[in-house]
Amino acid sequence: MQYLRIATLALGLVCSTATSLSFAQDISTKLQVCGACHGPDGNSKIAGTPSLAGQPKTFLENQLVMIREGMRDLPAMKGQLDGVNDATIIAIAKFYADSPAVSQAGPRNPALFEKGQVISKEALCGTCHLPNYVGRDQMPRIAAQREDYLLYSMRQFRSNQAIGRDTIMAASLYGMSDDDLKAIAHYLSQLK
Amino acid sequence: MNQRLISLATLSTLASSLMILQGCATAPPPAPKAAAAPAPVAAAPAPAPAWKQGMGPDMANSKLAPLPGKMTVTPVSEIPIDKLKLPPGFKIEVWATGMPGARAMARGDNGKIYIGTRAIGRVYEMSDNGKERTSRVVVDKLVQPAGVAFKNGSLYVMSINKVLRYDGIEKNPSVAPVDLTAKFNLPPEQHHNWKYIAFGPDGKLYVPFGAPCNICELPTPEYAQIRRYNPDGSGMEVLATGVRNTVGFDWHPTTKQLWFTNHGRDWMGDDKPNDTLSRMQKTGLNYGFPHCHEGNMPDDVVKKANPCAGVEQPVALMGPHTAVMGLKFYTGNMFPAEYKNAAFIARKGSWNRNQKTGFDVVMVKAGTDGKNAKITPFITGFMNPADQSFWGRPAYLLQMPDGSMLVSDEQLGAIYRVTYKKQQVAAK
Repeated sequence: MQYLRIATLALGLVCSTATSLSFAQDISTKLQVCGACHGPDGNSKIAGTPSLAGQPKTFLENQLVMIREGMRDLPAMKGQLDGVNDATIIAIAKFYADSPAVSQAGPRNPALFEKGQVISKEALCGTCHLPNYVGRDQMPRIAAQREDYLLYSMRQFRSNQAIGRDTIMAASLYGMSDDDLKAIAHYLSQLK
Repeated sequence: MNQRLISLATLSTLASSLMILQGCATAPPPAPKAAAAPAPVAAAPAPAPAWKQGMGPDMANSKLAPLPGKMTVTPVSEIPIDKLKLPPGFKIEVWATGMPGARAMARGDNGKIYIGTRAIGRVYEMSDNGKERTSRVVVDKLVQPAGVAFKNGSLYVMSINKVLRYDGIEKNPSVAPVDLTAKFNLPPEQHHNWKYIAFGPDGKLYVPFGAPCNICELPTPEYAQIRRYNPDGSGMEVLATGVRNTVGFDWHPTTKQLWFTNHGRDWMGDDKPNDTLSRMQKTGLNYGFPHCHEGNMPDDVVKKANPCAGVEQPVALMGPHTAVMGLKFYTGNMFPAEYKNAAFIARKGSWNRNQKTGFDVVMVKAGTDGKNAKITPFITGFMNPADQSFWGRPAYLLQMPDGSMLVSDEQLGAIYRVTYKKQQVAAK
């Protein structure tokens, strides 16, 4: 009898959380999963995995939705966001947006740094990402992002492989050489 | 790395630890299919990025950029509907929410409403049980399925690269679509090729093909056009050229001519060129792009002799960078007589302007010949000029059988309903 009551109570709880989609689910478990690759504070120490710390909240929300919906098809993220409701996505985004970005860059190559600085300015990256490249709204922070990830991501955009991402950005890197992209990635990764 | 994972995993549940391992096992990015090769820069001159074209050196320090969309559900409690202002006697209410990215609406024969989106890739179906509205996702993972239209029991969905028809969908919610893509011969460029589509009084499907850039010579002639097709995709005709980007049109209730909104180019300054309202008094007309804007303004980048010669003149200048979207001639009986056959136009709001403009719905009254157009505000309050903040972006309009009007808000993924009651005016 006692068990039955507990079971009923538990069932009721399950049902009520399942239907009240406007409330965030508990995100602590989810954040552990995210943090295993992206770093507990969102500053990634794993090659190829982007830092999420200090990213604009809207940018994180949008990307999380796009990944959940399958519009951004990332093998490493497959299934990770299945069934995660919008309120939870907003809570996760807020956590990383509030976490300070810390550059994970290695030693600086002064020549490469300077080249990247010049190209970034000429290419008007700061128009959308802001002159200090910290991003805003739907446009990501690129300062202090991992160098390997910046290069990977820019190559994707340049070759039109960035499916499900901004068509404006997709066209912004056409015609840049691999050396240009390497310089930009090095420069931005060194910034705060 | 393995040790770190295991210690973390012990803190978590078995399920999530499996997810961690799965997630990190594939963490290094897969080699992109074509990215590893050097850029094809030597082979052909690279096209300039669409957003940057025509951006003069004097604007190098500009921070103007497209405004952020919102892709998450907005609860009713977070919609400040009280901030909206309408003429006396009109009322606006939140009719439905929970449909991120909601744009154009098409009403089925049995009253279900189909709603297209862009980035989130979904088409929604909204149902009304008389008390409240609910919605479901008809299809997702499409590339900007902005175009929706309904004809003879079938829903037509047009994304940038696909055309789908859902026969009898109102009665059979799980009907598999008929893929009409091959018949429509859609061009490859994505930019400005998200669609607004609608069936004309002639039963044909009207489809715009935007310029694949901010400002450019067209790479191939198949862009900056308005075309029409038979519903099955056959019988394509090009009706108009030089149309930069129309994402809203309707047919005049008395003349049956097509009137359409058109977005002007960016980066030519805060006050030029205007977005426009135009009409198609006959087919084969040129509306100016890329050489001539708003009927009489030569472009400063793509030049030719006599750029505005023979260019059709607009009905009305709709404000610079206002982003004119949905257009609906009001033919209902609920609103006062002065609104009969007037055009309502949603202006989603500017990004390429230092002082924001638009973010409203306006009423345009003009002669049937397109002369003497007069623009009057109808719904305002989505944007606060004092601090330049905005909360909503009105995008499309749908007249209901009772004469009320639905307005979609692409920013909040909500639908509002506008009604009018005579006695409220009488009481005042």
